[in-house]
Amino acid sequence: MGSQDIHSEKQHHIDMAKGDVASTVLIPGDPGRVALFASLMDEASKVAEKREYITYTGKKDGVPISCTSTGLGCPPTAIGVEELIRIGAKNIIRIGTCGAIQSFVKPGDMIIAIGAVRGEHTSEELISMEYPAVADYRVVRALIDACEKLGLPYHLGIVRTHDAFYLESPWALGDYRKRLQPWVDLGVLALENESSTLFTICSMHGMRGGTILAGGYSILEEHAEEDKLHQEENIRKMVMAGIEAAKLLHERGLA
Amino acid sequence: MEKQHHIDLLPGDVGETVFLPGDVHRAKFIADLFDEAKLIAHSRQYVTYTGTYKGVRMSVTSTGIGCPALAIAVEELINVGAKNFLRIGTCGALQEYIKLGEIIIATAAVRGDGTSREYFPLEYPAVADLYMLEAMIEAARQRAVEPHVGIIRAHDAFYAESILANGDYLQLDKPWIESNVLSTENESSTLFTLTTARKCRGGTILTPVGHHLFPDAMIGDEELKNAIKLESLIAMDAAVILANQKK
Repeated sequence: MGSQDIHSEKQHHIDMAKGDVASTVLIPGDPGRVALFASLMDEASKVAEKREYITYTGKKDGVPISCTSTGLGCPPTAIGVEELIRIGAKNIIRIGTCGAIQSFVKPGDMIIAIGAVRGEHTSEELISMEYPAVADYRVVRALIDACEKLGLPYHLGIVRTHDAFYLESPWALGDYRKRLQPWVDLGVLALENESSTLFTICSMHGMRGGTILAGGYSILEEHAEEDKLHQEENIRKMVMAGIEAAKLLHERGLA
Repeated sequence: MEKQHHIDLLPGDVGETVFLPGDVHRAKFIADLFDEAKLIAHSRQYVTYTGTYKGVRMSVTSTGIGCPALAIAVEELINVGAKNFLRIGTCGALQEYIKLGEIIIATAAVRGDGTSREYFPLEYPAVADLYMLEAMIEAARQRAVEPHVGIIRAHDAFYAESILANGDYLQLDKPWIESNVLSTENESSTLFTLTTARKCRGGTILTPVGHHLFPDAMIGDEELKNAIKLESLIAMDAAVILANQKK
């Protein structure tokens, strides 16, 4: 391994080499969401499947776009992003779900991250905590323009990335509201588990990272069991916005 | 009770002992070694089979890579009745005397991950369950295997500390190599702390697929398949030993 050209051969986890992905790759956490991406493209075919990393590459209005699932959390996301960059990805956009923590966020709203709280440890192994997890401004702009074009309401702001789902969710053990209050007071929009590592690694490599999330009711409020069908529709719209943003980046010569 | 949010299971869906491979596709590989098994759920990267082996009901649930994903699986499996958690995995070897494809059984784990730190102060040790550890050593010896038994390291950033890393990974490995840490992987520190805290049992059996001191050697496909089969059978026998002890 040490003596071989790390770019010319198949990457160890995602099982792909240069030429297998477009320069813009959408990265959902859920391997099941890649099929949804494929269904929204004009054409798409499966390129690789290994562990939780499923990849489709296809075209939308003539623009090549790929989608690679990363699995849940920063450790596998860091692996996926590192390997995608090694085989030529330039724009990497997370298309995900989250737990909103501001009461002004409603189901059907999109959340576009301008930065992320580095509440996870993976990025800390790569660089010390002072380094900012900031999304690339051109990717943020493409996501904003995509939402405007598709008529999707959106919120722009900071998301919190952390490792322990069961400490900061409605099913958490202990007083999760108390834990979350400082972030609510700082205006953090939502909790999730991947973006700060995505942004950090992209910045360190000079590539462009971004995140769009499907919003919902704040997890700090009591709400009746949400209609599952609507949540699926909101995720679908979020993925459409990701695809549209990828197209815009291509049009703007950033692919 | 509703189905668990990520793993999509209900109480009664799994046996008391659940094997936890990281690789999504390894769940079926392990289930095929049972006497009989049925696919129960596939949600995200969490694939669950339940069946029996030597009369003992047992399950396997893939976790995907990393402590955050494993923590979710363990919490939800405990909610539906699982008690014994045995990770079956791969790793990078750190000690010169360890060969690729050999068997490593962890006594404890260096807590180099973030998830266990969110849960517990760093001083709280990540220790494997004693009875599960002993059952695995016994099961290995019954198959004429002498395992390497000792401390492993779990951490989050594969590309900071692997033979494929961007920087000088041996510098980072140095304190662990010098402290008798056998290998590195990405899940066991959270597995051990969480199961201990929840009064359940945790254990880990691994086989090295690469070696930090010999970076050009990678395990071959056939050798890997055999090593995973062996460690899985040892884990399954250990689960039977534990189940019979209860009686």
